[in-house]
Formats: sequence, C-alpha cells, structure tokens
Amino acid sequence: MAKGEHLGEFEHIVLLAVLRLGNGTYGAAIRREIESRTRRPLTVGALYRTLDRLETKGYVRSWFGDPTPERGGRSKRHFEIRPLGVRTLRASHEALTAMWEGLEAKVTRGA
Amino acid sequence: MRVLVRAAAPVTSEEELGDIAEEYARGATPVWVCRQLLSAVGRGSPRRMSRRSGAMVFAQTFADLRLALRTLRRHPGFALAAIAPIALGVGLNTAGFSMFDAIALQPVASPGADQLVTVYQNFQGVKKRRVHGARRMFSFPEYRTLRDGTRSLTGLAAFTRHWTVTLGGDAPREVNGALVSCNYFDVLRIVPALGAGFTSATCDAADAPPAVVLSHSLWTAAFASDRAIVGQTISLNGRAVTVTGVAPEGFGGIDIAQVSFFVPLSMQAVLRPEDRFYLDPDTSWLTLVGRRNAGRTMAQVRAELGLVAGEIDRQQPGRTTTLIVEPARSLSMPEMRRGIFQLAAVISAAFGLVLLIACANVANLLLARGAARQKEIAVRLSLGVPRGRLIRQLMTESLLIASTGTIAGSLLARWSFQGLLALLVSLAPNQVPALRLDAGVNLHVIAFAIAITGVTSLAFGLVPALQASRLDIQTLLNRDTAGAGRRSAGWLRGSLIGVQAAVCTVLMISAALLLRAAYVTETLDPGFDYRDVAVVSFDTRGLGFAPPQAATFRRMLVDRLRGLPGVESIAEAGKTPLSAGDMQTSVRRADGEAWQEIDFNIVSPEYFAVVRVPIVRGRTFTASENAGPTRTVIVTEATARRFWPGEDPIGRTLRMALGPDRDTPLEVVGVASDAQVARIADTTTPCMYLPADAESADGRHLLVRSSADRAALARSVRAIARDLAPGLVVSVAPLEQNLDLWRGLSRVIAGVSGSLSLVALLMAAVGIYGVVAFVVSRRLREMGIRMILGAALGDVRRLVLRQTLRPVVIGLIVGIAAAAAASRVLESVLFGISPLDPISFAAAPLLLLAIAIAAGLTPTRRLRSIEPSAALRRD
Repeated sequence: MAKGEHLGEFEHIVLLAVLRLGNGTYGAAIRREIESRTRRPLTVGALYRTLDRLETKGYVRSWFGDPTPERGGRSKRHFEIRPLGVRTLRASHEALTAMWEGLEAKVTRGA
Repeated sequence: MRVLVRAAAPVTSEEELGDIAEEYARGATPVWVCRQLLSAVGRGSPRRMSRRSGAMVFAQTFADLRLALRTLRRHPGFALAAIAPIALGVGLNTAGFSMFDAIALQPVASPGADQLVTVYQNFQGVKKRRVHGARRMFSFPEYRTLRDGTRSLTGLAAFTRHWTVTLGGDAPREVNGALVSCNYFDVLRIVPALGAGFTSATCDAADAPPAVVLSHSLWTAAFASDRAIVGQTISLNGRAVTVTGVAPEGFGGIDIAQVSFFVPLSMQAVLRPEDRFYLDPDTSWLTLVGRRNAGRTMAQVRAELGLVAGEIDRQQPGRTTTLIVEPARSLSMPEMRRGIFQLAAVISAAFGLVLLIACANVANLLLARGAARQKEIAVRLSLGVPRGRLIRQLMTESLLIASTGTIAGSLLARWSFQGLLALLVSLAPNQVPALRLDAGVNLHVIAFAIAITGVTSLAFGLVPALQASRLDIQTLLNRDTAGAGRRSAGWLRGSLIGVQAAVCTVLMISAALLLRAAYVTETLDPGFDYRDVAVVSFDTRGLGFAPPQAATFRRMLVDRLRGLPGVESIAEAGKTPLSAGDMQTSVRRADGEAWQEIDFNIVSPEYFAVVRVPIVRGRTFTASENAGPTRTVIVTEATARRFWPGEDPIGRTLRMALGPDRDTPLEVVGVASDAQVARIADTTTPCMYLPADAESADGRHLLVRSSADRAALARSVRAIARDLAPGLVVSVAPLEQNLDLWRGLSRVIAGVSGSLSLVALLMAAVGIYGVVAFVVSRRLREMGIRMILGAALGDVRRLVLRQTLRPVVIGLIVGIAAAAAASRVLESVLFGISPLDPISFAAAPLLLLAIAIAAGLTPTRRLRSIEPSAALRRD
C-alpha cells in the first residue's frame, strides 16, 4: 500500500457498501445496507461525513438527482466508486487478509 | 416533525434532510428523527451557511457543545472535579438568595400584588409623639387624610403589626391578630371563605358591634372548621366579639409575620382599654397599604401622596413630612429592610468567597488541562483555526461545567433550604409568630441562577481559555515540555493559589472568632444565678382586668405561691434577665445637660435576692418605694462609673424623660453588681432598676426561686392561677431558657460559619494539592537533571514546595489584613471577645499553612521513586 492510501475501518465498510449496491446508489440506501449487514445503528451525519471524506480523497464521486415528493421535495445524492477507490479497497483487503492468515480458527474457537 | 426538519434546514445539508424525511415517510419514529437531526447539524453546505452567518454560529456552537459533552464524558474524573466545587458554591449562593428573596423581594400574597404599595413617613418638627410599633407609622387621623385625599390609589387601607390577645373558651390560648381598616380586604382583593368580612354595618359606624374575621388556620385549629361559626361570639381579652367571616386558606395578612385574626381598628379601645389611641393624632401605630390606579406610575403616586401629606403638615404648624412609598413586600418596614439588606450583604460576601475559591480551583484545573493540550491547540492554530473560534470552544466547555454545576447546586439548595428553615424555626423563641416564607423556584431565583452561571463560567473559564489559545511557536517546534508550561501560566496558577489562600484565611479567621464567641457564651458566668429559678408569665389584660383587679390577682397569686413547698423567694419584674426585647429610656444627671439612652427594668424589692445580683452599695427597694414625690432608682456599677466616675452615687439624682417636655427626678438608693441582664457578655451598657408599681396592670413576670421539681412547680402554679383567674393563660419556664436563646443563636452562627470555612479549607487544600501534583509531573525531567548533578531528594522537594507555597504565604498575609477589616462587621455577634482576638488571628492562618504544607508535600513523595536517568528520557 502506498503511503497515504489508508482506509479506516468505517471507510472500508462504506466503500464496500457503495461497491455492493452499485453505482448510482444514494445515502439512505447505503445507510440501510450497512445497518442491516453490520447490525449496528448508523447516523445520517456520521455516514455523510465519511462519504465527504472519501470523495475528497477521490475514492467516490457524487452528484445530485431529481427531487422526490417522499423526500419533501429534496434531491437524492448519488454515489459511485471510482477506480482509485477500487484499488484502495483491494489493497486494504489484501493487507487485512494477510494479517488474518491462520487466525480464523483461533477466533471462531473463542480462544 | 416537519417543523423540526424545516427549522434544522439552515444548518444541515439537503441530502441529509432528504434521507431523514424519506425514512420518516417509511415509518421511522420521532425519536429516531431527532437523533438523526442532532447528528447532522453543523454539516450544512458551506455556501448556504455563509449566506446566513447566524446559522453558521449556531451550527458551530452546537458542534462545540457536542464536543464539550463528549470531552466531559470521556474524562469523568475531571468533570467531577470541576462540577462538584461549582455545584457547592452555586448551591450555597442560590440557597442564600432564595432566603433573601423570600424575605425581602417577593411581592405580598394578594391578587394583583404588583399594584400594591406600602406607605411610611418621616417627619420633623413634632413635639410629642407616642409610638406603638415604629415612629414611621401613621395615626388614624393622618391615615384618614391620605385615604380621603388620594386619587392615584383606588383604595388605601391601614393595619397594625400583630397584637397578642387571649382567646377565651375551654382551652384559653394566646393568639396573634391584626387591627385593620374596614376596606382592608377590599383593597387587597381578598374574598372571605365564609361570611361577608367587614361591612359598613360591622365596621364604619361608631356604635358598630365588635367584629372579627378569623384566619383559616385558627378556624381549623380552634373551632374545628365549624361552618356555622359566622354569627357566633367568641371571647378576645375577655370581650365578646362576633365572628363575621373566615379568611381564605393561606392568608394571614400581607406582613411576613402571619396573624390568626383580623379586627377593625375601632376595636383598639375594646382590646386595650387602658391605652386609648385609636383617634389620637399623635400616636404612630398604623402601616398603610394601597392599590395603584391602572395607568398611574409609582412616581405619580409618590407625587400625589406627597401633596396630600402637605395637608397633614398644615394641620400641625412647624411639621414637615416626607412619605416613603414603595412596592408592597412582605417585609415592608424601612429599618427592617435595611437590616435585612445589610445582613444579606454579609452573608452573600461569605458565600461569594466560597464560590470564588471554587472558581479558582476549577480555573487551575482548566489551566492544567490547557497546558496538557498545548501541542494540540498550537497545531490547530497553525492550521488556520481562528483564535476567537478556539476561545469560543473552550468557553463552551466552561459554560457546560458552570450550567451543570448550577443545576446540581440549585437542586442542592432547594433540599437544604427546607432543612435550614426547619433548624432556624426550631431555635426561634416561642414568642416569634409564624412567618410566611415561600422560597420556591420563581423568576428571581431563575434569573439569579442564570446570572451566576454566566459569571462563574467567565470567572473560571475566560483566563484559561485566553491562556491556552495563545500561539507559542516555541512549544510547537520544541519537543521539550519541561518547565510545566509557559511562565505566564505558572504565574497565573500561583495567583489563583494565592487568592484561594487569602479567601480561605478570611473565612477561617471569621469562623474561629465565631467559634470562640460560641464557647464564651457556653461557659461564661452571666453575673446572676439562673439555676432553680422559674419564670411565671401572664397578662391580666388578656382577661380584661382593670388595674386594681390585676394588682389584687398578683398579690393573691404571690401569697399562694409562697406557700408551696420548696419556694424560697418570689420577685416581680417587667423583663427577665437576658430575655428578648429592650426596655430603654433617656436619663441625664440632675446637674448635667446631655440625655443618654439607658436600659431599665421594673422590679420588686426581692428581685436582687432571687436572681442573686448583689447590692454592693446602699440598699434594695422597700415595699412602699413609690409613695414619695421623688422616685427611687438602683443603678448598676457601670452606670455609676458612667455618670459619677470616682464618686459615691448614693443620694445623687438622675432625671428620667417622660415626654418631650417632662421629666422626673430619680434618687439613687443603691448600686447593683454588673450583670449580663440585657445582652449576653454585655456588662458595660448603662442599666438601672425602677421599683415596681403595685397597682399597675402591665404584663409582669414572676421570678420564683424554688428547690422543688420543675414540672411539679409548673403544675402547681398553673393550678393556683386557674383557681384565681379561670381562663388566664399562664406560662412557666426555667430562667435558663433565656440563656439558651443566646447560646442557640451563637451556636447556629458559629456552626454555619465553621462549616463554610471547612468547605473552603477543603477546596483550597485540594487546589494546592492539585497544583503541586501538576507541577511535579511536568517538571520531572528537570528534577532528574538536578539529582544527577548532585542535589539530594530533600533539596528538590523543598525547592518545589517553596515555589508553590510562596503565593500561599502572600495570600495568608493579605487574608489576615482583610479579616481584620471584615471582623468589625461581626462585632455585634462576637459575644465576649474582641474582633481582633489574637488567638483566632494566629490559629487560623497557622492551621491553613500546616494543611497547605501537607497538601504540597504529598505529591512530592512521587519524586522519591523516580530514576533520575529515566526522568531525563521523559518528553
């Protein structure tokens, strides 16, 4: 991993959610996906702070869609993962996998 | 919910609000929505928020608050150390303010109380004036002139202070009531719970039958809430009086001393026939209360009443009257308000000092924390965060600490106030009437709490915030954090310690003085023998006895009491030694010009033998002392020294004032030993004794010296009195109770002061300990270097201690000087000791110094365990 291309735990989770849901997904959907898979509550503010940070780093791109009535006439903000984001995810995944090697059994046995 | 979302719009982003709205439409709970809004505030679009700078500030403040909350949650020890002293200091001050507010600032218990005013007067050029209450009060003719002449008041009523009368019946008792004008209830808009109250038929007419309106509490306690009470007659001071109404529950008059019944002013002569002043134009006895006309200001009312008062002056040539018109309060008398304000100032100063110590402690804590965060703050400043923004963030933390401390302290105050009030009531003498004290949470108290929050957060937060936010490139570049921070921070810490030491010294010296005074009152010899003496008190006016009847009753009672087993001697006295209240008059030497105030008592010849105050020169009174043209007097040694220094006073004459143009000669026949009969520890105030007039009907006390069991004696006395005068209320109490009153007062004052100074000492000790511990931890590297270079551990410890205790010593010296000035204020309660008592002034500072040294030595013990080489490597 190059210096500076670090992913925090939560950044990693958010990027994975954007990747899974596909390009064009939006904030509410990302939040629901993360909550259902990780089974931990997530506030809207915390999510968008992370998304802003990921966009600043160039890992994702966002744009505004059309307003909808169910959102009180407010637009959705759509997200898609960018190639740099994919590369950073892969590097992060490889680093984690390397650290996990040989330890799964220990963790599942509750040692 | 939509309103909430719309309100949050300026300070949140569109996409967040949209997500929240979408989830709400899908069934999210309002609680969930609120949580999401809180998390999203502050992340608003910078472009949108810059157009509304108020929204930006709000968002930033909210973010600061969240950060401060998170910081305090993460450091619970620091939070407790900061909030606890503030809570204590604020709690004390809020409790004190609540009490003061209840006594002096609350409006009276009456509908539309903000329109009510009380009226008093100052007048000059009046030759003679009788006073029942206070000189500032009005006579009935004066009241009538004002009442009929005013247009700026819709009504002007008059009332007296409480009068004690005997309520007859199966169980006679003494009750306190007020004489009021016929329009009293109308002006106050008080509607009786039963009956019509006072009407023209029952009040205004000259031949109106005696009428009474009972208070709700008396109606419940003495008449079992009998709904048929209206129209029945009851006995007041032996007179039949018709009940015309019952006041509503909770109303006992507008004065702070509540009363049990109300009778018309015209009944003054009925209740006290020997003292007729109802229509007397030269007797001060009435307080006035009026209701302002809507649309008239206080200034207009004062101006108009002043004009009407001119009419009174025209009726008495040479007289000039100025009126005192103020919004009606429970405590309305100007002298009493002045006294209360003075007392409140002293108490506020003491409580404020404790709060000051608390603020100094917390300021030191914040300074230490600021020093620990130097690098973080320096980096933030260098990244472009404005200094003002940083200061605001640090002040938000201070405000949060202060607010939490205020809320906790106010709750503490609320609980402790009730306990304090109960304590004071339990110590008050029985003669003190029920007081109306409502110290609930009201606008005044809330405003006070908000103000104190702001002041305390500024007091302890501003300087550390300014200090911490100052950019120091040296610190940013230099890895060496030795020196415990910048020199200015060290100076600040020292100053705070010095302030704490000074304030603590003042409180401790004051407490020491009061404790020593309490000890003196517990152990002194009052100069008379109070053991085995019972005080029998009664007022024959309660049964309507005329003077001859009263004299006969007294003689028969004394004769019967003399026959009881164990009774050695009996005396009569107008005032018992050390009882509450003063009897004073003016005297001068027969050949002298200047009149002087003097305490006096009216006693029978046996008095001196009963209380064992020796006659050191001359003789006591004889049985027929008042028969001759010149009255006789026995003076105390102090009086003799005052009027005839170095001479024999026997046979000399004093003149006693009987009125502005009259006086009477008094021949000195004896000199009594100095004794503390008027006030405790006071034997120097001039005092004299006059012989009792056997034919007087005035309330009298009997002093009975008896070796019999107290309870048995009391039973016998009451039985004899009941036999001679059924229905007379008689109280029997040991003379020692008079001494207990003074002791109780002294104990309470000393106890409160001692507790206060203990709290202050504890906080100061904790503060000193904290500062020394902090300095030691920051200077470990320096200590290591010194020890490597050969310094002994003891030398290093002494160095730290010396530098830390220098401001303590300075504070002690300043505190001693301040205490010397402040102790004058306490002079009136320092019974028997000097305000500059050397023992108190030496012991308190020494104790503080010892505790400061101990508090400072404890953290330096840590130096024993450090490895000098390890300390060198510390960053």
